[in-house]
Amino acid sequence: MTPVSSSSGFAIRSRPMTTPAYDDIAVGDEAPALVVEKLSRTNFVRYAGASGDFNPMHHDDTIATSVGNPSVFGHGMLTAGLMARVVKDWFGPEAFRRYQVRFSKQVWPGDTLTFTAVVTGKREESGERLVDLECKATNQDGVEVLVGAATAAVA
Amino acid sequence: MAVDTSIIGKPAGARRVHVERGPVEFFATALKDDNPVYHGAAAAADAGFSGIPAPPTYSFVMGHPGAWPDDQPPDPTGGSHPGFAIIGGLMREHGGLVLHGEQEFVYHRPIVAGDVLDGTSVIADVYEKEAKGSIMVFVVTETVWRDATGSPVVTERFNLIHKRKA
Repeated sequence: MTPVSSSSGFAIRSRPMTTPAYDDIAVGDEAPALVVEKLSRTNFVRYAGASGDFNPMHHDDTIATSVGNPSVFGHGMLTAGLMARVVKDWFGPEAFRRYQVRFSKQVWPGDTLTFTAVVTGKREESGERLVDLECKATNQDGVEVLVGAATAAVA
Repeated sequence: MAVDTSIIGKPAGARRVHVERGPVEFFATALKDDNPVYHGAAAAADAGFSGIPAPPTYSFVMGHPGAWPDDQPPDPTGGSHPGFAIIGGLMREHGGLVLHGEQEFVYHRPIVAGDVLDGTSVIADVYEKEAKGSIMVFVVTETVWRDATGSPVVTERFNLIHKRKA
């Protein structure tokens, strides 16, 4: 695992990877994990700008705490977008056929998230070879913040 | 109180979106995605895309920069999304919380910069659950995005929840 810093503020650790072939994939195989360290308010604000979601719960601590939250919290779709990268980085940006997520817990400033995906099935449909995956994101305390499922087309 | 299931199948909106390279790249950067296909035409072409592709969750937000007000279809709802009307009514009656519970995407082909996509939404499902001392009302809106040829590009299901104490 090589730590990488970036101008946009995420510190991300992931392994170098190559796209595997369908025949080399087995049920139970795990995608290279993605670790996003210490999500910041700046990350939330950048996502707010990119998505147009200016719900103040994601950028205004005064309003977020006035309704009982300890602070602002991240957009669920920011977590979902980061989660998608695990599958995309493994099989390529053109591979997605289906992606579904359920938000379990909120994500807070300072959280470090680990994104994992495991192969749950392989099948051929409409002339394509498909790999089904279960996706999960957990925080630094091991608490699940997102679960999902993805299907990728693999050569 | 039983939830009003008569809205299932009713129209929940229509929108035209212009997909442009700048907003797509800005979105990829917000996800710290430095994959070259999002940042250069040559890399996108080398990977087999007909233009700069959008990241997989982009369709959820693409109306923000891309729904030009002077190029919108007629609103089939008469100005009131039937699901939001139910949730708004619950908020007024009970207070509570509105949560984005789930999101699903089915991809028919990649979205690329230059696409002009027409989305039509319907209420796919409405249901109520009681668990752990809470009553939750779920409203599922399905949106099919089609390209200029009428072919489906992405189908989305957006599950919005109203949660209150039982």
